[in-house]
Amino acid sequence: MQSFGLNAWFGTKQALKDINISIKANAVTAIIGPSGCGKSTFLRTLNRMHELVSGAKMSGQVLLDGKNIYASDVDAVMVRRRVGMVFQKPNPFPTMSIYGNVAAGLKLTGVKRGANLDEVVQRSLEQATLWDEVKGDLKKPGTSISGGQQQRLCIARAIALEPEVILMDEPCSALDPIATAKIEELIVSLKRVYTVVIVTHNMQQAARVSDFTAFMYLGQLVEYGETSAIFENPKNELTEKYITGKFG
Amino acid sequence: MHRLLDVGLEQLTVSVYRMGEVAEKAIDVSITRFMDGKDATAAVRELSDVLAAMTVEVENKAFELIAKYQPVASDLRIINSYMKIAYDFERYGRYAWDISFTHKKLAGLDKCAVNSDLMQKLAETVCEMVSKSVRALKQNDGEMAKSLGEVEKKADELYFAYLEQLSETKVQNKCVMCNLLVSRFLERIADHTTYVGESIVYISTGEKISLR
Repeated sequence: MQSFGLNAWFGTKQALKDINISIKANAVTAIIGPSGCGKSTFLRTLNRMHELVSGAKMSGQVLLDGKNIYASDVDAVMVRRRVGMVFQKPNPFPTMSIYGNVAAGLKLTGVKRGANLDEVVQRSLEQATLWDEVKGDLKKPGTSISGGQQQRLCIARAIALEPEVILMDEPCSALDPIATAKIEELIVSLKRVYTVVIVTHNMQQAARVSDFTAFMYLGQLVEYGETSAIFENPKNELTEKYITGKFG
Repeated sequence: MHRLLDVGLEQLTVSVYRMGEVAEKAIDVSITRFMDGKDATAAVRELSDVLAAMTVEVENKAFELIAKYQPVASDLRIINSYMKIAYDFERYGRYAWDISFTHKKLAGLDKCAVNSDLMQKLAETVCEMVSKSVRALKQNDGEMAKSLGEVEKKADELYFAYLEQLSETKVQNKCVMCNLLVSRFLERIADHTTYVGESIVYISTGEKISLR
């Protein structure tokens, strides 16, 4: 994915300023920066969720496989299918079973019940490293499992649609260290098949799971590079101050 | 902005600077008394033991800071480099002890160095390198640290010229044996000053260079 001259606003307040970035395929890219720097807004522009907010607007381009996802002939729903999203708090559909949660997106896009659906559900739960823990409880409510399991269920739900890119907005912030470790392992394993972009406030998490890191400040992309380089020897003084906690 | 990590980094810095002073003193005492034909074993042994103990302290403190604060960027470079520098300072102390011990054991505290200009120059050069490495550390001066590479080449030249001189000598006595070993210890100390220099450059610029 790439963005060119990407700007975003909430009403008159500009949240993103001229973001130009090329996100590497089959890698994990972490977006870091202080609260209000535009991380989540940037993430939401990558699958056209920003435009769902009242009063929000954007300009510039976001390319997915070379095609601008904001072009007039592009269906926003299809974009969101190709670019999945996992949110801060696990949000399984409360009235649905574990199976139903994973299958929900597929059913909405016309896949009928049956062997194929079963296969996709199993494969998605396996990829989300949840299958062994829930295979005997697929009919139980999605909300009956632990918070960490619910987050992996949400990842399975996103995977089921076979997206190319998975966006994660602070996916571990509501989880305990053990559940966090499992999600982090999962994130690293997912890059074999998907491109992953994760917003995190946890610097160590960014260092652990990502291959590339982008540092944002006041709506601008300050520095972007290999995670090992950013965390060992950042080029920009602002990045250095932020990651070492000397900010403010 | 004050950080909890800063307190630990300050303690680590004080320890490593102190080690530099002790190491410099160990080298100075050892070489001066070798030149003067005086016994330095007890004094240098004490200093070398202090350095060995402080290396463990620095390592423990560094591990504590890494475990507690997961430092990154310049903080991580400092901690990593201080651990390496502490080891290099410990080696200064150990070689200082080796010089004093060899001088006493093999040469019976004779003034062996007076027989060779090369040996004296090598000893002076290494003393200067040690002082410069400690000074560059305290001043966080990457350029001064880099200059150690050039001086190390000079030390190497003196060492090899001295070996050449020894190989041509017909006399085999205790001073020849002593000086052979001492010159080797001096050459190794010179090497370690360049390692300290490399660490100082890494702290100040993040650049990984070789000064040898």
